[in-house]
Amino acid sequence: MSPLSQVLLDGIFAGGTYALMAAGMALILGVVKVINLSHGAFFTLGAYVAYALAERGIAHPGAAALLSAAIAFAFGVFLGKSFVNPIRSHPFALPVGTLACALLFEQAAQMVWGPHPLSIETGAPWVGPGGLLIRRWGAIAFLSSAALLAGLKGLLATRPGLPLRLIAEDEEIAGSLGMDVEAIRYLTFGGACAMAAAAGALLSPSGAVTPTMGRAPLILSLVVVIVAGMDSIGAIFLLSIGLGILGNACAYLLSPQWSYVALLAAVSLLLAARPAGIVVLAGRSD
Amino acid sequence: MLPSFRGGWPAAGIGLLLLFPLSSPDAFFLDVFTTGFLLAAFAASWDVVGGIAGQVTLGHALPFGAAAYACALLTSLAGWPLPLAVAAAILLAAAVGAGVGTLSAPLSGPFVALLTLALGEIAHEAAAGNTFFSGPGGYAWGGEGGIPVALPWQDAPPFASYYVALCFLCLASFAMLRFSRSGAGLILRAVAGSPITAQASGVPIARFKRLAFTVGSAFAGATGAGFAIHVGRATATDLSLELSFQAATFAAVGGRGTIVGPVVAALVLHVLFQGLSLPPAARVLLYALTLMVTLRFFPGGVVGTVREAAWRVRWKNGTGSFRRRGRGRPGEGGS
Repeated sequence: MSPLSQVLLDGIFAGGTYALMAAGMALILGVVKVINLSHGAFFTLGAYVAYALAERGIAHPGAAALLSAAIAFAFGVFLGKSFVNPIRSHPFALPVGTLACALLFEQAAQMVWGPHPLSIETGAPWVGPGGLLIRRWGAIAFLSSAALLAGLKGLLATRPGLPLRLIAEDEEIAGSLGMDVEAIRYLTFGGACAMAAAAGALLSPSGAVTPTMGRAPLILSLVVVIVAGMDSIGAIFLLSIGLGILGNACAYLLSPQWSYVALLAAVSLLLAARPAGIVVLAGRSD
Repeated sequence: MLPSFRGGWPAAGIGLLLLFPLSSPDAFFLDVFTTGFLLAAFAASWDVVGGIAGQVTLGHALPFGAAAYACALLTSLAGWPLPLAVAAAILLAAAVGAGVGTLSAPLSGPFVALLTLALGEIAHEAAAGNTFFSGPGGYAWGGEGGIPVALPWQDAPPFASYYVALCFLCLASFAMLRFSRSGAGLILRAVAGSPITAQASGVPIARFKRLAFTVGSAFAGATGAGFAIHVGRATATDLSLELSFQAATFAAVGGRGTIVGPVVAALVLHVLFQGLSLPPAARVLLYALTLMVTLRFFPGGVVGTVREAAWRVRWKNGTGSFRRRGRGRPGEGGS
């Protein structure tokens, strides 16, 4: 078994699942027009839900993803309706407020589950051709997020997704057409948080579950939406896979923390090289 | 900025704080206050960048921690005398600030927060994950354990640290207050209010943003060096996102752009939460909750909202109508 192809395969599985989270980030950016720094916290939430389920003998990716998505949707709707919507026009309150929310969750998780890394036992992997290990959760995670993303793409392309696209394009016209812009905003926020939590639940066995584990996926999502924009789900998917491979390679060749540093360096370089940042936000007059 | 701060209240507060150690309190409380003074100076230095210049930084721990590490490394590894090491640490922090300011000057809005957050986290990961020096005696230095500061004295008495920290806080806040009311400070407020208008008036906004980062970071560095000396070592938590976030919390709760407000908020919140001797996780949780509640109900800033309310009360009573004309519309400049 060559370690390189193993790293590649695991990177593809992880990256495909990260794409689910990044697509949620892109939805929030497009519809709510907010950079949500608490997105990583929902990823962590999903991972802890999967851990708690596995501890009770239900180590199933589907169950973990569904339950964590439901929990995250509830919290996301609350957060979107009662916190993000009222403060979204204030350039100071948003980044600091969503970061506060992320730290709040990190500390709460640390108080409940402790600061130590936890791991989830998922049983023996399948052995593929050439001794390649195919982790069952990884494969299920990759396939289900690919299916969910295809579903999202279909939704956005058809009539039920029209309000989302219209609000992303011009919220005033959407409002004048009788759409409840505020409601669609917080529902989208909740849905996007559910996507992040599902990704966290699906990816939880591939690494240690810690209170701050959501930070690296948050930065990864930011890199993805800055580069790929918000319109093309396909571009988000491919770029996430690329970054997943990069992260896995860094973790394999150096040490796990270096994949986080590589992502941080990527976002710093991107912002330094492309000061306009994300197009939709740059157009706003703050 | 607030009329109530113009009176003798700060003097009364300083008097009380000077009197406090004489009431022979517990050494624990003296230590809580000493750390509180340093945190308050740090919050004020955040306010120079994030409040007065409006550059919302989430990586303000970077100059703080850089100075702390420089102070520790220069004294114990290079054997420099302490004053020289502190001066070098402050210069390094200012240079770090100038670099961050140069990078973030073309950015706007949330992207400044994003870039500073990323730079701060890179520094934190580098400091936390690497045991990069082995000091005298063969111990591994760095990593979570940090690097010790070589001090020329042993076991400074708690009340001495208290007075030195209080003195530092007063001098630093006074200097920052003067800076915020100087010509450069006024220009920075204009940049914060509307970069486009400032640019149209011929202000080189990139240079002034860099100036704000440099000055704020220099003060943050002085605080960081002081903190490293007080604690006796520089650790990775000096560079953590939680620390940057705490500064932003103090500023938001106390009122951004006032310097005095963040100082008061930092003292009150720190002494309150630390005095309850909660575990660190609970403390950060309470800070986050406090901040979220503050932002939810005063999204445009505490000072602006309070000032607007004060105007409304005065206007309703019929006493403020004359003065109001000369002072511009209520709520201006608060956020």
